[in-house]
Amino acid sequence: MRVYGRFELPPDKAELHRRAVRLEWWTIVFFLVAILLLAVTLGQSQAMKAAWIEDMLGLVPPAAFLVAARFRNRRPTERFPYAYHRSVSVAFLAGSVALLSLGGYVVYDSVMRLIAKERPPIGLVELFGQRFWLGWLMIVVLLATMVPAILLGRVKQRIARELHDKVLFADAEMNRADWLTAGAAVLGILGIGAGLWWADAVAALIIGADIVRDGVRTTRAAVADLMDEAPSLVDGSGPHPLPRELLAAVLDHDWVADAWLRLREEGHVFVGELLVVPVADTDRLTERVEELERFARAFNWRVHDLVVAPVTAIETADGARPPTPDVMTRRP
Amino acid sequence: MRRFGVLVVGLLLAVTTAGCGWPKDAGGTLADVRGGVLRVGVTENPPWVRLEGEPSGAEVELVRRLAGRLGATVEWHPGSESSLMAALRDRVLDVVVGGLDANVPWIEQAALTRPYVTTRTLVAVPEGGGAVPEDLAGVRVAVQAGTAEVAALAAEKAEVVTVPEVTGAEGMPVVVGDWRLGELHLTGTGVELAAHEHVWALPPGENGWQVEVERFLAEQGDDAVEELLVAAERAR
Repeated sequence: MRVYGRFELPPDKAELHRRAVRLEWWTIVFFLVAILLLAVTLGQSQAMKAAWIEDMLGLVPPAAFLVAARFRNRRPTERFPYAYHRSVSVAFLAGSVALLSLGGYVVYDSVMRLIAKERPPIGLVELFGQRFWLGWLMIVVLLATMVPAILLGRVKQRIARELHDKVLFADAEMNRADWLTAGAAVLGILGIGAGLWWADAVAALIIGADIVRDGVRTTRAAVADLMDEAPSLVDGSGPHPLPRELLAAVLDHDWVADAWLRLREEGHVFVGELLVVPVADTDRLTERVEELERFARAFNWRVHDLVVAPVTAIETADGARPPTPDVMTRRP
Repeated sequence: MRRFGVLVVGLLLAVTTAGCGWPKDAGGTLADVRGGVLRVGVTENPPWVRLEGEPSGAEVELVRRLAGRLGATVEWHPGSESSLMAALRDRVLDVVVGGLDANVPWIEQAALTRPYVTTRTLVAVPEGGGAVPEDLAGVRVAVQAGTAEVAALAAEKAEVVTVPEVTGAEGMPVVVGDWRLGELHLTGTGVELAAHEHVWALPPGENGWQVEVERFLAEQGDDAVEELLVAAERAR
């Protein structure tokens, strides 16, 4: 059996991953430009401070993704015998917490503005010799920053599904949060122009609550991943079908009388143990076990590190049958 | 997403049908001032505002012009900046003037206009009156006592001579605002001690009013403001 192998994505997935890396660099460039543009249009106002904090948080998921991308497929070492796949899970947690913090900050900020009955002043601006209401310029800048956020988010979500990359998915959620807050700010500025001082804060509050919901969901998923939860789909919508399918395929081998499979997610890959009970008088058992391990790896690119052990019977300490992937109860 | 788009289009329609009164005030200050009373908080700060007798000064004159444009009568309310700003926040006043600098700390209480003029305090020498010192180290320079420029001058290592009022007749380089150069027959040296961007303070959220005031101030032009400053110095 091959151990201490270096994990490589299949060629098509590796190409997607390289694309994701490029996209994340573009995301960082986009956020830096957005911060600069906002600084120019908003000056040192309170609104600028809020937008700045949002954009700084927006930098966390792409940065986490890029850091994890450098570590994820390193060879196992003596110190890290399970290799570095978990770096993707750690990045997922970092990105999720950033998303949650963004939502929390937006909610906090807008509630405080409502309580203080803060009336945002938006005056006149002079650009190219033309004097007009600063609100129009702010709206143009906000709409301009929305377009790349929408496009980046959509492409990333698609790649994230194909790569089963949860960091990338959390980052796509962040981009969604970003253009939603920008949209809310546009409505808020229009409201302010109409003399409704509370419009900005109320619009931000509604969007903030939506981001908090997203953030709570992804943070729970990230923590559950680190708790070795059974593999779930990239968008957290349900259990991953692979463990069930793999177990069924293993049981299809005619020398396998019974089998029990336990898998956990380590970033892109699944890692775990497979116990098999061979039928009586199975010959070449050691070879068959090793063949089974190769079979499981070939079954799906995500099955990476699987320990296959032949046993006489499968039972828990109290003699009951342990749960297998198809009967495990899961939070929907 | 689609609902969001409908909302945006609806609001844009509301904007275009609302006509030229855009942006609107949260509280209606512009409508109250137009043809009504303009309540002005004033703080003594010559030559911008002087409160001996009838208020005078460059910004007092500007306020009168603005009131004339809006057909409003002016009500003057002298007070300290902190008390006037609190009144401004609750819309008891419509504007506060007094040579305010753009860096005033009142952004919680007030909306500051865009800076409408920048003034500089310079070290100046009498016209044709000898060499212009390039380095102030050890040079005797006169400056009005009790101003921030005393410290700025000391930081240039000049020998500070404080006077109650700079007249230009001290027989040494003096520190003055750049608008006084012509009037006092002085030539500015390259040494600039400070630059002040001047603003007015308005009630926050009264964006229609703010745009009206900012438009008025932007139309004045630096030369007109300087003329008003010179006139205010002469009237002293």
